[in-house]
Order: sequence, then C-alpha cells, then structure tokens
Amino acid sequence: MNRQVRRIILEAAVIVTLGALIGLSLHHRLLLDVFAGRTASPPARPATTGTVAAYPSPVDLAEVEELLAAGGLPVDARNPESFQAGHLPGAYSLPLADVSEEIGSFRNKVYLDTILIVYCGGYGCADSFDLAIRLIAEGYREVRVYEGGFPEWRDANRSVAKGER
Amino acid sequence: VNRVEKALYHLCRVTLGGVFFYAGFIKAMDVTAFAGEISNYEFLSYSWNFVAAATLPYVEMLAGGLLVANARVRPAALVLGGLTLVFMVALATAAARGLDIDCGCFGAGVATTPLAALGRDAVLLLLAVIVFALRGRQA
Repeated sequence: MNRQVRRIILEAAVIVTLGALIGLSLHHRLLLDVFAGRTASPPARPATTGTVAAYPSPVDLAEVEELLAAGGLPVDARNPESFQAGHLPGAYSLPLADVSEEIGSFRNKVYLDTILIVYCGGYGCADSFDLAIRLIAEGYREVRVYEGGFPEWRDANRSVAKGER
Repeated sequence: VNRVEKALYHLCRVTLGGVFFYAGFIKAMDVTAFAGEISNYEFLSYSWNFVAAATLPYVEMLAGGLLVANARVRPAALVLGGLTLVFMVALATAAARGLDIDCGCFGAGVATTPLAALGRDAVLLLLAVIVFALRGRQA
C-alpha cells in the first residue's frame, strides 16, 4: 500500500472518529440515560385537561419491575399485531386507535385504583402518553408511562409473552 | 483537466456533500426517532440503536461538510462511499428478510421503501466514486 493510499484511509478514519466523538459528546446525557435504563424525557405535549395532575409520570425499567411486583398492570398501547408478536407478561392490549370502542370493557375489568404501566414501541413513541392521559381522564389515579416500551424490555432479556390478549 | 471534467467534479462533490450534510442534520435533530428507524432493521439491541443514531448523523455532516468546503475531498468521499455501501447492504438484507420498513435515510419524516432507497444509494455511490476518481486526476 503506497503512502498516498495509507494517508487517505487514515484521514477517513479520523473523519469517522471525530464525527462519532462529536455525536457522543453532544448526546452523552441521552446515551447515559439509555444505558442506565432511564429513557428519553417525555415528549413535550400538554395534558388534554390542562392540569399538571393529568400528566402521567414516566418510569424506567427498574421501576416497572417494582410496580409489577406490587401488582401493577401493564397496558399495551400498540396495535394488535405488535401485541401478538410480543408483549410484557400479563399485559392488557388497549390500542390507542381503538380506545374509544374498548375503554368501556377496560373499565369493567380494571379497578380505578389499579397501578397502570402504559407502554408502546419505545424510541419516543407518543401513543403511551396519549393513552395514559386518556386513562387519567377516565378516572384512573395511578397511571405511569414506561418510555423504553417493549423494545427496551425485550432487549434487556426480560420475559416476553406472545399471542392474543 | 478539461473544463467539462472540472465542472462534473464540482457538481458531484457539492451534490454528494450537500445531500449527506442535509441527511445528517435532519437526523441529528431527533436522535430518539432516528434510533427507532434504525431499530426497524433489527440489527442492534435497544441501547446500541441509540449509539448509532447519536453518532452516524455527525459523521455524515462532517464528511458532507468537508466535501462542500472542498477540503479533504478523497478521505471524505471514501467515508461517504463506505457509508453508502453499508446502507445498501442493510437495505438489501432488510428487503431480503421481507421487512416492510421505511428507509430512515432522511429521518423519520420521509418514507422510502428499501428498494427505492437502494436505487438512490446506488446513485450516491456513483457520485462518491466520480468525486474520488476526478479529485485524483486533478491532484
């Protein structure tokens, strides 16, 4: 390999390294949160009722496990196909798109003081927040949002259930 | 070097650099959404999708910016050509696995099927080769 080729490859490696370092330094807080199991901050959207109390609290992976141990109910806001392919064990499928038709049945089965852990597809998906806000408006008092959602749960090697609800 | 060749070189250089700078910029604006786009390819685990999403846009912007600025042209063209090849392999395997996903090349807002994105990447790869080769002739 002659000197010129070696120099081009070396400079290309410097460009890649420098670009990666800029990205890592600018987003280090997000990455530290992700690796620590605390995901991105909630999307900035106002609660539908306009009160602070109507906004659900975000929880991370460790808190989800604690809440599940305390009898919390996972609520899956994704579509039925995604739910069927894999979901948190014991999760209730309540797709955001179908909430108007299915909320009556949900209310008949789930008490208002149940701890609800609402999740969707992670990576900043807003469906869990939208569904959680709707559930708070329905009178549920203990509503949390698991921002990492199903992808973080699955990739952290936690047990996954499959099939219909 | 004749004038046509010189004009072709500058056109390809600015186009390739501009496209990658733009693509990197809009993805850097929403790293979390871009991590979701990468996750659709089912290559990396949850946390590593965020690492790829946090770094890739800045490599694209840096190399693209260098091309537009006409600095370190051959190394920058090599980086962008290499990235384009990696993207093409990713898109081809996604298409082969029957994954019905958006390319994610320009962030979450612009939907492109894997096959359409493959065609576009082939053009970008050609631009990178032209820039690399013509810069060598000018040196």
